[in-house]
Amino acid sequence: MKLEMGYIHISDIEFSSESKIENGKLYVSTDALKALVLEDEKLKDVSFDIARPGESVRITPVKDVIEPRVKVEGKGGVFPGIISKVDTVGSGKTYALKGMAVVTAGKIVGFQEGVIDMTGPGADYTPFSKLINLVMVCEPVDEIEPHEYEKAVRIAGFKAAAYIGELAKSLTPDETKVYETETIKEGMAKYPDLPRVAYVHMLQSQGLLHDTYVYGVDAKQILPTMLNPTECMDGAIVSGNCVSACDKNPTYVHQNNPVVHDLLEEHGKTINFVCHIVTNENVYLADKQRSSDWTAKLCKMLDLDGVIVSQEGFGNPDTDLIMNCKKIEAEGIKTVIITDEYAGRDGKSQSLADADAAADAVVTAGNANQVVVLPKLDKVIGTLDYITKIAGASENTLREDGSLEVEIQVITGATNEVGFTTLSAR
Amino acid sequence: MPDSLFGCRPFIVVKEVVRLEDYVIVTNNPLVEEREGKTHTVELYDVGIEEILRLIRDRVHSGQRLLTHPLSGSVKPGETPYKSVLMTRGKEPFDLMSVELIQSAIEACGKFSFKRDEYDERAMRDFRIIDWTLIKSALESADSF
Amino acid sequence: MSKIKVVHYINQFFANIGGEEKADYPAEKRPGEVVGPGMAFNAAFGDEAEIIGTIVCGDTYFNENVDKATADILEMVKEMQPDLFIAGPAFNAGRYGVACGTIASAVQEKLGIPSLTGMYIENPGVDMFASKVYMVSTKNSAAGMRDAVKKMAPLALKLAKGEPIGASCEEGYIPNGVRVNFFEKERGSKRAVEMLLKKLAGKEYTTEYPMPAFDRVAPNPPIKDLSKATIALVTSGGIVPKGNPDHIESSSASKFGEYDITGVTDLTADTYETAHGGYDPVYANADADRVLPVDVMRDLEKEGVIGKLHNKYYATVGNGTAVASAKAYAAEIAKRLIADGVDAVILTST
Repeated sequence: MKLEMGYIHISDIEFSSESKIENGKLYVSTDALKALVLEDEKLKDVSFDIARPGESVRITPVKDVIEPRVKVEGKGGVFPGIISKVDTVGSGKTYALKGMAVVTAGKIVGFQEGVIDMTGPGADYTPFSKLINLVMVCEPVDEIEPHEYEKAVRIAGFKAAAYIGELAKSLTPDETKVYETETIKEGMAKYPDLPRVAYVHMLQSQGLLHDTYVYGVDAKQILPTMLNPTECMDGAIVSGNCVSACDKNPTYVHQNNPVVHDLLEEHGKTINFVCHIVTNENVYLADKQRSSDWTAKLCKMLDLDGVIVSQEGFGNPDTDLIMNCKKIEAEGIKTVIITDEYAGRDGKSQSLADADAAADAVVTAGNANQVVVLPKLDKVIGTLDYITKIAGASENTLREDGSLEVEIQVITGATNEVGFTTLSAR
Repeated sequence: MPDSLFGCRPFIVVKEVVRLEDYVIVTNNPLVEEREGKTHTVELYDVGIEEILRLIRDRVHSGQRLLTHPLSGSVKPGETPYKSVLMTRGKEPFDLMSVELIQSAIEACGKFSFKRDEYDERAMRDFRIIDWTLIKSALESADSF
Repeated sequence: MSKIKVVHYINQFFANIGGEEKADYPAEKRPGEVVGPGMAFNAAFGDEAEIIGTIVCGDTYFNENVDKATADILEMVKEMQPDLFIAGPAFNAGRYGVACGTIASAVQEKLGIPSLTGMYIENPGVDMFASKVYMVSTKNSAAGMRDAVKKMAPLALKLAKGEPIGASCEEGYIPNGVRVNFFEKERGSKRAVEMLLKKLAGKEYTTEYPMPAFDRVAPNPPIKDLSKATIALVTSGGIVPKGNPDHIESSSASKFGEYDITGVTDLTADTYETAHGGYDPVYANADADRVLPVDVMRDLEKEGVIGKLHNKYYATVGNGTAVASAKAYAAEIAKRLIADGVDAVILTST
């Protein structure tokens, strides 16, 4: 399968009466966007704001981060099964707006976390501080259940991102990158001497507010299955995950999955990247056993030599991670796993809730319990109401000078477990 | 809710259920009893998170097997006050995996601090909802046949 | 700003006194002197710090007189009032490594003076002290002195200044069980791909999170008929006959005891006690069955649940006892149990 990605670099965003992209600048009509978002009767109001790298701005509580993209050629549309039809995506031509993102925010649950600081020490920990963020704060109608609100905000974000992506459809990309992978048989013939490698991608799937969707299917209902590496670039996998800001994968991370991209970089040179396998992280233990059995079985059927397994979340998923690793290693397939750690504030506690000697090649995204002091910033998009109570904040989270003492687990993307950032620990 | 180690008293005991099941829900979340109690066996205890985990551990030690992961949910154990698990109803041969899972869950509690005083009723309600939806996702799996 | 004052500890060999034949050299304070490797440290410190005195001690002397040597050296350090204490580096010299670890951690803990040592990863001092004091990873012989000093000097200065200490791989110290965050050059996914390529090629790679050490023993098949089995009790909870006839130490036990319990149905406060120094002994002393359940085993014997309780039990103190010692005791105890035809063992701890 072959996908041509066209990258259009966005240098700034401005509100305007007309939505368009000109000379790298995105103009957004908030009226048009608002009308689109409020089509959903669960949402009462939405406000928009822009946060640029380096500005003294804090966005919280962040729900999702999405990169606007548009399908230019080929089958299907972005976010298949959600806002486009369920056609198989990943081929043809897609444009992405680089350097920016749509950020959805809203207090979905009373202990909502997720902080993006655009400057200061917090900015070092979130990859999204480097983007120009178009922030949407969505207000729900009264008396709404959290899961209805979550869904409304989730869909609103995709609609807004697709709307903005659409503006780029007739532009000429600043940069083009072609990604191509072969079918099983072709790959074997073309790269007979290269090790066969796949990516086992564990998706958060524990229940409402902890869900991920694959072509619109709730991932807890899937059996492990195979994707072409390019499918995720068209939004085949999206986030419905609101909890655990530091190590959840926002939709932006699924679209730009770094393991997929770095394996594609090596494809045909040092490895044969055979496929992208998605599996889940259910609460029910029999589901865990079935899913890990199946990933190991798929890996074996594909005659793989090596696998990278990535995790999403903490605790319950540690068990899936270790089960996957152990069973795949037992098939004689070499694995590397990516995780993060909860080693306590002092770094002295056991980092993972599960462990096994088979997991002898681990990449860590750092200790999520590490404490950081975030200075007071001039502007808050969203609300600070919750940050004083959210996960990882201590009793004296809000200090007298207005700074916040928090664990980095409240920061969106801080210890991302698909290896999206450079933070690590030893 | 009392967090005392000794203040553990079941205030609603085993309910007779409509249909035969081979598992029970052990929880300290009243919403789980409210939503699932009519169709499932729910054992509700008015205790804190660590104590409910210890209670579950005691049952594991006496032969009940865990059917769900005790660290379900990305809301950390020290942060949410609620926890529900599914366990086999009858006693089975000692299950090492259950022992390890519950033990590491109890240990994980120590890594997080729950700031009960700072949460308002809305947050507490949301914690109950989240815990309920997590166990509900497991019930869907458990009840699919 | 005045220079940071450093006291340096070395053994008889590095002080040029002699080799093994001089290893019984007692601890000696040399104020104002910079000896052997100290010169290299002084050069590396530049204007920031200087060695104000050296303490020399023979390795045999230190290890055979640990308590006295430690106390004497602590006194010497105290008198010189340094801002920083450096021991070694010890490279792969085992007793020197243990001495460096012991004294560096004692100076840090007892005197509150930041301390640093260095040694080769396989030095026994690493297992014993890496979690207690910062320890730079060195080569296995003094040929690595220059490299060791290059890593130790900057870390020592940071410690003395109270600056935050980065992750082990950045600072060069041996992982001490404390996880420290830092930013890598490459993102995690790229590091994962590189690690996988190495693993696939059979090349050496370093995991970023070593799994906790497992020393698992595959369980034996279950006893088929408990009612015919001879069961023994073995404990690391220190239960001994009153008076502790074998003088098992309250910590770092150097032995285990074998005790006959023929005819004993209940351990009482008059007959048994615990030698263990690592827990409150009140309840164990009041009724030692709480640690070593002879009473319940006799009941089970009477009820026919088990065949019989073995007439000897084995006890040691687990408190601070080295894993290697514990393994040796276990091997010997197992040999005796097998010779006596015991079918199964109940191990109790505290």
